[in-house]
Amino acid sequence: MAHQKKNRNVGIIGIGQTKHSSHREDVNQPELIHEAVSLALKDADLTMKEINCVVHGNMELFEMVHSPDLWHVLGTGAYGKDSIRITTGGTVGATLSCASDNLVASGMYDIVMAIGFEKLQEGHTTGGITNMADPLWFRKIQAGALTGSSAYDVEREFGLERANRASLTYRIIMDKHAGLNPNAHRAFGLDFNQIDDLIRTSPKLVGELKLIEMCSQSDGACCVIFACEKKAKELAKTPVWIRDHITAHKEETFNIFGYNRAFPVMKTHKFAAKQLFERNGIKDPLNYFDVFEMYDPASWWAIDWIRDFFALKGDEHLKLVENKEIMIGGKMPINPSGGVIGSNPIGATALIRVAEAALQVRGNAGPHQIPTPVNHALASGFGGTMWTVMTMLEKDLNW
Amino acid sequence: MAEYWGIKVEDIFNSMQERFRPEGAKDVNAVFGYDIKDEGKWKLTVKNNSMVIEKTDSLSGCIATMAADGETFVGVNTGKVDATNAFMSGKFKVEGDMVLFGKTGRLFRKFVIAKKKMTVKDYLADMFATVAPRFKAGEAEGLDASFAFDLGGPDGGKWTVFIKDKTCTVTTTIEGKPTVTLEFNDAKDYVDFILGKIDAHSILAAGKAAAKGDINMMASKWPILFEKYKDPMAGDVTEQELLVLKKTISLNQNFSTGPIMGKFLKGLKDKKIYANQCPQCGRLQLPPREVCAECRVRAGDFVEVGPKGEIRYMDVVYYAMPDPLTGVARETPYGSIFILLDGCQGNETLTHFIRKDQIEKIQMGWNEKKGTRVRPVWEENRIADIWDIKYFEIDE
Repeated sequence: MAHQKKNRNVGIIGIGQTKHSSHREDVNQPELIHEAVSLALKDADLTMKEINCVVHGNMELFEMVHSPDLWHVLGTGAYGKDSIRITTGGTVGATLSCASDNLVASGMYDIVMAIGFEKLQEGHTTGGITNMADPLWFRKIQAGALTGSSAYDVEREFGLERANRASLTYRIIMDKHAGLNPNAHRAFGLDFNQIDDLIRTSPKLVGELKLIEMCSQSDGACCVIFACEKKAKELAKTPVWIRDHITAHKEETFNIFGYNRAFPVMKTHKFAAKQLFERNGIKDPLNYFDVFEMYDPASWWAIDWIRDFFALKGDEHLKLVENKEIMIGGKMPINPSGGVIGSNPIGATALIRVAEAALQVRGNAGPHQIPTPVNHALASGFGGTMWTVMTMLEKDLNW
Repeated sequence: MAEYWGIKVEDIFNSMQERFRPEGAKDVNAVFGYDIKDEGKWKLTVKNNSMVIEKTDSLSGCIATMAADGETFVGVNTGKVDATNAFMSGKFKVEGDMVLFGKTGRLFRKFVIAKKKMTVKDYLADMFATVAPRFKAGEAEGLDASFAFDLGGPDGGKWTVFIKDKTCTVTTTIEGKPTVTLEFNDAKDYVDFILGKIDAHSILAAGKAAAKGDINMMASKWPILFEKYKDPMAGDVTEQELLVLKKTISLNQNFSTGPIMGKFLKGLKDKKIYANQCPQCGRLQLPPREVCAECRVRAGDFVEVGPKGEIRYMDVVYYAMPDPLTGVARETPYGSIFILLDGCQGNETLTHFIRKDQIEKIQMGWNEKKGTRVRPVWEENRIADIWDIKYFEIDE
């Protein structure tokens, strides 16, 4: 894979996000975005004057607004500035971060602002996702982003009871994390003694995928400011450096569901992680990274993907969950923010992964800050029928 | 009986008859149960556009029963507790026919919390109790004054507000010589005056009130020294109403198929299923795609496959998914199947639906296990569309 060293280093110098919620009827779209933009500018101690370019993104037509970046100019502050709109599905937030990184690294701009946004209550999420399927045939058959196939795969491999308990354990850990994050949309106050009850009572959506295990539909916005090394050192006390990012796409295909293991298909998480770690000389990612903000649309996918990202064998990934090693304070804390299961304003969701990972590196994430030092952080984005974006963040410029 | 936000569990049930909406009960003929922890059990019978609610010992015969504690039940009914969150976190549960229970939501008008009326006595107590918290010490630099209130009538009383050394104290007596004394014949007029219902001039002009002492001190200083009294009964009326605009968009669309997908769809019209083959790796693509994405070469050779095959995987969908073409929710549950048609191998599966009444009988295939054999059921009038196959059914 052709990949060259960056022209210059890029650091994150400002982060802002709204409280994510299903009830933001009190603001319209530009106003919601403005909340995140103001917070990021305040965090970076900058004004819009210093921003050279604005990169705007959300899900295509989820709110049925054409050219939302024009309407949103009132909230983004992009009036009269270079502005680029990006929309790549679920990964859009992560792609915003990649694009901003590239725009600064290239030397085109010194300071770039990325804004991810969604007001899912203003459209229809499942309808929107179904509309992304091939209009020539699959749109008539697809069921949004819902599938029980991961649950089926995990159950077949590890048995119904262990699989269900692992999924619910992951879910409750996310709920506990979300309870610490004041911006999280959903924090129910669940406890591990509710596992059996929830397995029995939570309504099924598709197959074994239950309502409690699926991500939320949130309103919210996230804004992250990127600067070149020189500016970042001048302007920020603790810039968070972007070491590398990778994107892996594949054809739009659904044969990954119920596939035959004798005919392996490309799994983009596994593929992307392998490439990214190899070209950065990281042999043991589980030990190297101090925190992982993972795009986890449902707890079944999450437990399965831990294995893909870290190239784990057998049931190592389940043990990480069962032994609560993915909790704040564990060996590999995953989603101290509460993850996508906790808050999911889709166009912002993958940018929130980068933002939350950066907050952990800075050490001022708030009540959900992990107690041990964070020098290396990983963030992932997910979208399409199996697309991956991964971002590596570093505390020191020493790689 | 415990109260939550000033409301008893019984208040919710007792008001059901009054809140009942017959228009919401048109297609409901059922008995629902409510099991409220430590409070009791209630049975709701809905029949012929009318209802009966009764307290009971046994909930047998209920098609669906809701179980919750009193706080959650009252909270959900009054909007103090988010119903979705409470349901998801298991704070209330529904046993039985959940879909039918969901219809109880439109049987009743919302329970409105009746505001308890505040009496003149309540207002006076609240007004003087909040004097000290409303005091702005920063405005009282060097001030030494006392404001006395002598309010008559059955609910009246006496109060003095002392300001000295930038602190504010309130007593329920009048002693010595206050800087200024306000006298109201009827304490009710004072309350109305503070609430802005009547103005000071008209009360003074009517002789209903009088001021003794340094009235200028009262008129000029009081509004600066104290934050304005907020009426606890006023609620949110001063806030702007928030509007949500509802829109429905319905548009016609036309998509060109191109020759490759066109061949596949045309094949369906003739009851044939075509895949195409990558000349390099040999894999079949179903439906056919213009190129093999893995080998990056054109895939032009068509192969007829099926029409029978083996089910590899089935998603049983319970969530009422909207059909993106019509906006109408699909009837649930339905089975979305991945079929390995005869002539295909590995992951060369086609996705479609299984006959509704056969979901339970489907065996999913795996490496070492055969899945259920199925065959397509064709539409009578085919139009070159994926729905020319109505669904697949078990091939017996």
